[in-house]
Amino acid sequence: MIETQVKNNFDEETFLANKLRDILLKNDRASIHKLEGILDNQDELAERISPIVDYKINLLKQKFPKEFQLAVNQIVEKKMKESQEEILDLIYPVLGRMIKKYIVHQFEEIKEKIDNQVSSLFTLKGLKMKIKSLIYGIDDTELLLSNIDKPKIEEVHIIERDSGILYGSATLRPTIDRDVIAGMLTAIKSFVEDAFQREQEELEMIEYGSYKIFIQNFRSYYFSIAMSGSLSVSQRHELSASILTFAEKEILQLLSNDGAEKYEIISEKLKLHFYDTEAKIFN
Amino acid sequence: MISKKVILTGSFGVGKTSLFNQFIFKTFSDKYLTTIGVKVNKRVVTIDDQEVSILLWDIAGEISQDKVPNSYFLGASAIIYVVDLNRPITFQNAKTDLDHLKKIIPDSLIKVVGNKIDLIEEDKIEDLKSIMPVPCDIFTSAKNGINVEDLFSQLASELLANN
Repeated sequence: MIETQVKNNFDEETFLANKLRDILLKNDRASIHKLEGILDNQDELAERISPIVDYKINLLKQKFPKEFQLAVNQIVEKKMKESQEEILDLIYPVLGRMIKKYIVHQFEEIKEKIDNQVSSLFTLKGLKMKIKSLIYGIDDTELLLSNIDKPKIEEVHIIERDSGILYGSATLRPTIDRDVIAGMLTAIKSFVEDAFQREQEELEMIEYGSYKIFIQNFRSYYFSIAMSGSLSVSQRHELSASILTFAEKEILQLLSNDGAEKYEIISEKLKLHFYDTEAKIFN
Repeated sequence: MISKKVILTGSFGVGKTSLFNQFIFKTFSDKYLTTIGVKVNKRVVTIDDQEVSILLWDIAGEISQDKVPNSYFLGASAIIYVVDLNRPITFQNAKTDLDHLKKIIPDSLIKVVGNKIDLIEEDKIEDLKSIMPVPCDIFTSAKNGINVEDLFSQLASELLANN
């Protein structure tokens, strides 16, 4: 009898406890149910999360340079150290060519200076010159240079690079047809550059005996300057600088002229510029 | 006066240099000398009182045009592709060669010239035309000068018109 009474009381307490739990957790359960619904529905989930993700990405973008610069620098530095060989392989040929060109040029200049000094010191002519230099107070190098075969500009041409068509030319003496010279020079240049395929390198000089044809290349045209006599390295560089000056100051305007007198105008300008240059550089 | 670069090309022994000499110097030699590299010369042609300076590049013959350095063709306003009408082997590659040239210089005029017409019997010409992979624009004889002046006059007119 007592046992039955106890059991009934227990059942009633459990029932009441469950009911109380239902009442207290009703709102929470509804919220959980709603959340489960959102989690199960991808579209709805994306709609809610996307703005937050976007916001975080923007924040990261804004703060990235400041926050991660050091880390990125360290990674790049580490990667560069690891890939040093590959980077060197890429840069080396370009640097090598530049360095080589510079060294060759420096050696030429040194050699020329030494040759000049030696010849002026140990030859009879040099000795005479030394005496002359002492008597008249003129620098012996200047005297030496003035005595050797003076360089002279024989012909100057500006030639269209691909077609070999002559834009203009200046010469002090009559020559064979200048259009033919321009065409053949272009053909020789094309032949040499194609035959030896030295990547970006181009024909820069043709030499026979004491006659030299210097070629200075530009994007769509090139200059050819035929010279006689001996030209020192420094004079060669002055000539090159003079060509650059002419190209910089005159050429664009001259080439844009489509008039019938184009050839004559370019030729006249060439004559004025280069024979003036010759006076400045070689005398 | 306008100046134009014109290329003479084609297989070896087709008569390019003979056409060159006939046009420039009005001469012909039976002696065959292979052209080495390139030979350049010019002649001024007058069309309707207008002068055109034709800078003619005679290029060494090759069996196929892809053997010729591309740089020779650059800047050319016209190409004269010469075949020897007596040697079908010289026009076998004509189509491939012309396609190759059109790729290098798409805006250039192209003239296909059937040379050595003096060696062909008149009744054989039609048969010959039927077996050619590309039609000839003109038939010439560098030896006798047949149509050589006409070829360059036509070319000069077209170059003037295109200028």
